[in-house]
Amino acid sequence: MSLTADEARLLKAISVPKSDAQKVVRTLDWIVVVILLFAVTAAFHIHFMLTAGDWDFWVDWKDRMYWVTLTPMILVIVPAALSYPLMHRFGLPIAGTVCGICLALGEWISRISGFHLWSYFPYSMVWPAIVIPGLMLMDLFYMLFRNVFLTTIFGGASVALAFAPANWIILAPYHVPVVYLEQLISVADLIGYTFTRTATPEYLRFIERGTLRTFGGESTLISTFFSAFVCMILFYMWWRIGQFLSNLGTIPNQLKTMVGLEADKDED
Amino acid sequence: MSAIQNDVAKPQNIKPWGINWKPMIIGLLVITAIMVSARWYQQFAAWEYGLDASDPIFDATWMKIFWAQLVIEPILFVVFVGYLWLTRDKHLNNLSRREELNKMMFWISMLVVYAFSFYFAGSFYAEQDAAWHQVVVRDTSFTPSHIFLFYMCMPVFIIIGFSLFFYAITRLPFFAEKLSVPLLLVVCGPFMLLPTVGYNEWGHAFWLMEEYFTVPLHWGFVFFGWSIIALGGVVVQILTYLTSDLLPAVFNEKGELTS
Repeated sequence: MSLTADEARLLKAISVPKSDAQKVVRTLDWIVVVILLFAVTAAFHIHFMLTAGDWDFWVDWKDRMYWVTLTPMILVIVPAALSYPLMHRFGLPIAGTVCGICLALGEWISRISGFHLWSYFPYSMVWPAIVIPGLMLMDLFYMLFRNVFLTTIFGGASVALAFAPANWIILAPYHVPVVYLEQLISVADLIGYTFTRTATPEYLRFIERGTLRTFGGESTLISTFFSAFVCMILFYMWWRIGQFLSNLGTIPNQLKTMVGLEADKDED
Repeated sequence: MSAIQNDVAKPQNIKPWGINWKPMIIGLLVITAIMVSARWYQQFAAWEYGLDASDPIFDATWMKIFWAQLVIEPILFVVFVGYLWLTRDKHLNNLSRREELNKMMFWISMLVVYAFSFYFAGSFYAEQDAAWHQVVVRDTSFTPSHIFLFYMCMPVFIIIGFSLFFYAITRLPFFAEKLSVPLLLVVCGPFMLLPTVGYNEWGHAFWLMEEYFTVPLHWGFVFFGWSIIALGGVVVQILTYLTSDLLPAVFNEKGELTS
């Protein structure tokens, strides 16, 4: 891609130290960074909490096949869409990492303020899953390959493949078995029984379909690979949606004459 | 003769470049004050007076806030948007490029306030709603959580979003010449979250559901939340315009302002 004469001149201008042009561009950079931080946190968090939230809220829900299967699928969507403008248009392979950090920040602030300080749940019950490693790998593959199809295969899949291992260590103590009222349960279940959530399905009726304990524990692996398969498809789909949303262009403004601009000729 | 050439080469009357940060800082402080006060009020009154909607104290502590929001917010919307429209630049074709740059940078700085307000609606107060309703069984649509999430946070970012949109089409030639579709999505998509509240409350009242936060009833919020991805398109449009048109017109090769 070649630069126009104007763009080349601008590039020269902003490379002059402490020039007005450099100040404008640096100011613009920082403003865009702050906008992205807040907007991505809001958009990614609302998307995540309303599609995979329940498994992420509670430690005793982190023993379900759905948690391992669904979470990466939901995680890959917004970073894939943002990969188009950030990587393809600006050469920044940071969409996954930015989304992961923003989600972690948004979740922790909410878990501290809403779940712990307001609803009095212990942190051991409401910690959010670790999502950054898989999303960083996605960026890494995009940076290495600079190719959407290869990133779809390796980057999309890495979001799912890294998810369970990334959470394994923090989750392990909660899967220690304990005997409670003559029943063998996990520490996570015991925490769940102690801090009741009176309006949730778990409280109103007992549902525990598809636990990660099924078939001696290999369900984690099965769920991970299934999720990786779907993540590949979702990455490509949402990269295309990001492309579509970034190139929507413009439509005629019928009110432009009211601000002193000339009407479009084809309006007559 | 040489004096004249020097004057042309280095014009003396050009103001140095600077951005007016005050409106952005004031905006951020006002939003912070509103959101922190609301959170403090929840801590003070939610468990104490917010558990039983039939209790007269619920009416006094919670519903009065709700009714106040319903009066204040439409007035603020009309004031902000009306002011921006009535004081519009009616000679936008005569706007100097330097002035356009100043206004564009000011507008972009105010996007920070919009994104900040959207954070409280999309993240902070939204997930807090899950914590509250999965513990306290609701007996009304107007709960201590909803009164601030749906009827404060959402109107606040809608007011700011529409104000920014009207600023753009009345003061910035780039957005006034043709309407940016990504910008329309960034403003109108999050706006649609508010009408979605209607379906959400209807569903909760009709089905008396268990509080499963990922139920399909909530997916309307997700769908319209996705529209903020179009912000990438707005950034692409702005940066393309700045680098290929506006900035080359106001700077020379040395990075100095030419007007």
